[in-house]
Amino acid sequence: MPCFAQVVRFARSLEHDGARADDLVQETYLQALRGWHSFREDADPRRWLYAICHHTFLRSARREARYVDAPDDDPELESLATAVSHGGALRTGAVDALERLDMIPAINRALAALPAHYRSVAVLVDVEGQSYEEAAGILGVAIGTVRSRLFRARRLLQDSLFEFARDAGLTHASSASPTPRVPR
Amino acid sequence: MTAPPDSPSPTERTMNCEQAVRRLWDYLDGRLPSFTREEVEAHLDLCLRCPPHFTFAQSVKEWLRHAGTQRENEVTDRDGTLRERVRSALRSVSP
Repeated sequence: MPCFAQVVRFARSLEHDGARADDLVQETYLQALRGWHSFREDADPRRWLYAICHHTFLRSARREARYVDAPDDDPELESLATAVSHGGALRTGAVDALERLDMIPAINRALAALPAHYRSVAVLVDVEGQSYEEAAGILGVAIGTVRSRLFRARRLLQDSLFEFARDAGLTHASSASPTPRVPR
Repeated sequence: MTAPPDSPSPTERTMNCEQAVRRLWDYLDGRLPSFTREEVEAHLDLCLRCPPHFTFAQSVKEWLRHAGTQRENEVTDRDGTLRERVRSALRSVSP
């Protein structure tokens, strides 16, 4: 089975329930077998399997009403909000406090907390190293949608990290001074 | 050679803070046209407040990348069981 480990990782990033993630992996390969005739020889098998995996996940999540389509975000506003949020975290000590956190588990928790439409983009581009164009092809969305979801995902992820630092009581204003409101 | 009298001064050519941070992720992803990228860099060279935002955002990207590398090394017994389960399912539908 080609790209098995990568498909397992991608499925687990979409589905956090272990049994559901395993079902998703199995269904991905079954769908791939059924659709093998549509695979172009010059195509990247990993991206083809990711696309099948994502479509299978969406079909199941929509059927069970577990997936809500993302609104269109303003990417530049998300960039601005990222900086505003970081400025607030600098003032409360949350940024310094992150140095005392084990970042990889914290990042994985923050990723897991993202809504699926943001998580899938962040996983593909930032974790798996796919380009915007490749991610757009896998997810079946426009490149602009990848960009806007990615920027929002990163901002939400950054805010989660600051939240972890506050929850761990590591900030000097953990109870008195919440992160300032940021646009959206 | 002197600049034409109506050309903007270096300061006038520089973005303000809001304009620069609105391009934060595009800049870090290398997706800005060269002229805009240079404008952001000119701002970062002069500004004391904005560079930490860019540096931290770059760290977030690197942590995500690192998380991915670590996940690649995660091989569990359950994966072996799952592999067998999927193989078995594929065999059951193969002609």
